[in-house]
Amino acid sequence: MGKLLEIVDLHKRFELHILNEKAIEALDQVSLQMEEGEIIGLTGKTGSGKSTLMKCIYRTYLASGGSIFFTTAQGERIDFATASEHDVLRIRKTEMTYCSQFLQVIPRVPAIDVVASTVSSRDSSIDQGRELARGIFETLTLPAELWDAYPATFSGGEQQRVNIARAIIARPRLLLVDEPTASLDLKTKDAVIDLLLGLKKGGTSIILITHDAHTLERMANRTLHLEHGRLKEIICA
Amino acid sequence: MESNWLLRVRNLTRIYGESTPDVLERTGPRFNSNICPKTGAVVACGGISFDLFPGEVLGIVGESGSGKSTLVQMLYFDQEASWGEVNFRPVEDGNANILELSNQRKRYTRNHLMGMVYQNPRDGLNFRFSAGGNIAEKLLMAGVFHVGNIRVRGQDLLGKTEVPVKRMDESPARFSGGMQQRVQIAKAIANNPPLLLLDEITSGLDVSVQAKVLDLIRGLQQDLGISMIVVSHDLGVIRMLTDRTLVMKHGRIVEQGLTDQILQDPQNGYTQLLVSSLL
Repeated sequence: MGKLLEIVDLHKRFELHILNEKAIEALDQVSLQMEEGEIIGLTGKTGSGKSTLMKCIYRTYLASGGSIFFTTAQGERIDFATASEHDVLRIRKTEMTYCSQFLQVIPRVPAIDVVASTVSSRDSSIDQGRELARGIFETLTLPAELWDAYPATFSGGEQQRVNIARAIIARPRLLLVDEPTASLDLKTKDAVIDLLLGLKKGGTSIILITHDAHTLERMANRTLHLEHGRLKEIICA
Repeated sequence: MESNWLLRVRNLTRIYGESTPDVLERTGPRFNSNICPKTGAVVACGGISFDLFPGEVLGIVGESGSGKSTLVQMLYFDQEASWGEVNFRPVEDGNANILELSNQRKRYTRNHLMGMVYQNPRDGLNFRFSAGGNIAEKLLMAGVFHVGNIRVRGQDLLGKTEVPVKRMDESPARFSGGMQQRVQIAKAIANNPPLLLLDEITSGLDVSVQAKVLDLIRGLQQDLGISMIVVSHDLGVIRMLTDRTLVMKHGRIVEQGLTDQILQDPQNGYTQLLVSSLL
């Protein structure tokens, strides 16, 4: 099978025009190849560029140089560094999901619909989506009285589980997930890991940022370490 | 894929004063002005090009006077363009420049195929008519003449936009600002237009009413799949409603990209200033 993701010499630099043209080098000479069905762990100190790399792949950040090739289910090769916005939106809608550390949702939408609307926008009805969402909330032990409430008022751990549920239900081909288990207890942590491993069985490839050794050990096929914006070592697990 | 657009805008330009192409070479962000130093002509919109896809919501953001309202007003034929090309799929399968249509065909396009919601409800509504009468006006212009049908459709639309149907025979002048805005939205979508233009629709409303109007727009987009152009100086509105955003300054597009990219990794100095000004 072909490479799902191939990053070549990625460079990211933030130019802050309003701060006297100050520039921040965030990523330099980052290259990596990812097979379909693989889980890659990304580690590194805070500020080493892990989230920047992930956001460059998702195109929330624009790459300053290099290429990020993604091969679609139809075998089309798209470079997220230069692809048209419509192409990126199409891939986001059908094949790639980003699950951030912080919940970013549209206000005044109940938790259950936040999750359900993710699938109903893809291929099923909102009722089917809600049914699926309930199942995932149960597995993640999110208290039932919260399902109809607005996630903006939830605790950190509760928000995180809504976020995870959204990624799980989307069943993307490529999942980018940033600290999925950070504010959770060990039992819930394992429930999240089990769900993500279940996704992998269904064919999802995952790039995972985590500081948690337990999560990394249970999930990652291999680990890449970032230091000052460079990929330093590759530890095969 | 690239030919999949609903609306294609190329080089759309509006100049007040002496309209020559070289005015564009002496104005814009590079010169930090939209006033031509030689002729004094003002470039309200210069060389605007973009594509809008079916079902897509495009944001246009920029400060007052950046040309965002002029842009949508030209698309709705409220203002005449100095030059440029606008193709719209429902009109001759996109093969005609709609700016060059006869007045009659422009009216048809506007009444049947587009909806517009203005910042000021007085621009979009006739306060001498009742709320229901305003919706009827739009339906009549689009050739629906059956009074019973008009009445039912009006009730349906006001219900959808949460305006009390009991009050449909009152003038919108008696309504609150938020309600007036919702009547305007009901009127704008009366003919199920494939394209809806929204110009600063939440400015001047208080926060809870803003939220209601935005929820309404988002619901309509999800249920009906209407393509929209959302003009706002409020990045919160842009973030909530749009997938893609154009940033305008001095009548030009200074940056365009995915909305999350514009908000989190703005490239242009002006966009960075705009994002850093966010409360």
